[in-house]
Amino acid sequence: MKHLRSEPLDLAALLDETGNPASGALVVFGGTVRNENQGRTVSGIDYTAHASLAEKTLAEIEQDTLRRFDIQQCRIVHRTGDLSLQEFSVLVVVRAAHRAEAFDAARHAIDTLKQRTPIWKQERYIDGDSRYLEGVPILNPQQRPE
Amino acid sequence: MHITVEFYGVLRQVMGVQSVGLELFNNTVHEALERLCQQQPQLSIHLPRIACAVDDEIVSHEYLVPDGATLALIPPVSGGDT
Repeated sequence: MKHLRSEPLDLAALLDETGNPASGALVVFGGTVRNENQGRTVSGIDYTAHASLAEKTLAEIEQDTLRRFDIQQCRIVHRTGDLSLQEFSVLVVVRAAHRAEAFDAARHAIDTLKQRTPIWKQERYIDGDSRYLEGVPILNPQQRPE
Repeated sequence: MHITVEFYGVLRQVMGVQSVGLELFNNTVHEALERLCQQQPQLSIHLPRIACAVDDEIVSHEYLVPDGATLALIPPVSGGDT
């Protein structure tokens, strides 16, 4: 199942895909491009990825989240390419019978994504400058906390 | 033996290219990183925070890279706060 998209993310399609009559709760996390970071005015962000490793990692995070929480669906999609302000960079969709697990699972999925997925952000500024943002070093599987 | 090293994220900017070819003698990731830093000293400062991947698996510095394989250098990921 494809997790990286080069075109704008389609939330409606994800909601259709994950629809489940046994679900009483739907939680969506959407990351969007913000207009300011550390005092600099942002004009956009370029997202790049190690595509095959990112696809594999996002699939693992979905499965891990489904195992850890009492939920019915977890889907993650991430954009690559040049994004403008307020465009969705990532969508996490979780469905569960009840809201507590849905909220917890969605937070776990996005927090884990940010620690493990080989995706990088190069921020662009209105003065024409750009820079890669500081990130989190990927750990070997043996180094990861359970 | 010959491998390809791919650079990602900020490393592409540091190295000025997406990938390079590299000749190795004892095939370890450790040797590959040493040789790269000898050829491109600007890579050294990034090394402590780089992960290495072969065939979509994160590997240790002791890993033996197969002849003809691609070694991906993965800098810290998914920048930005919560």
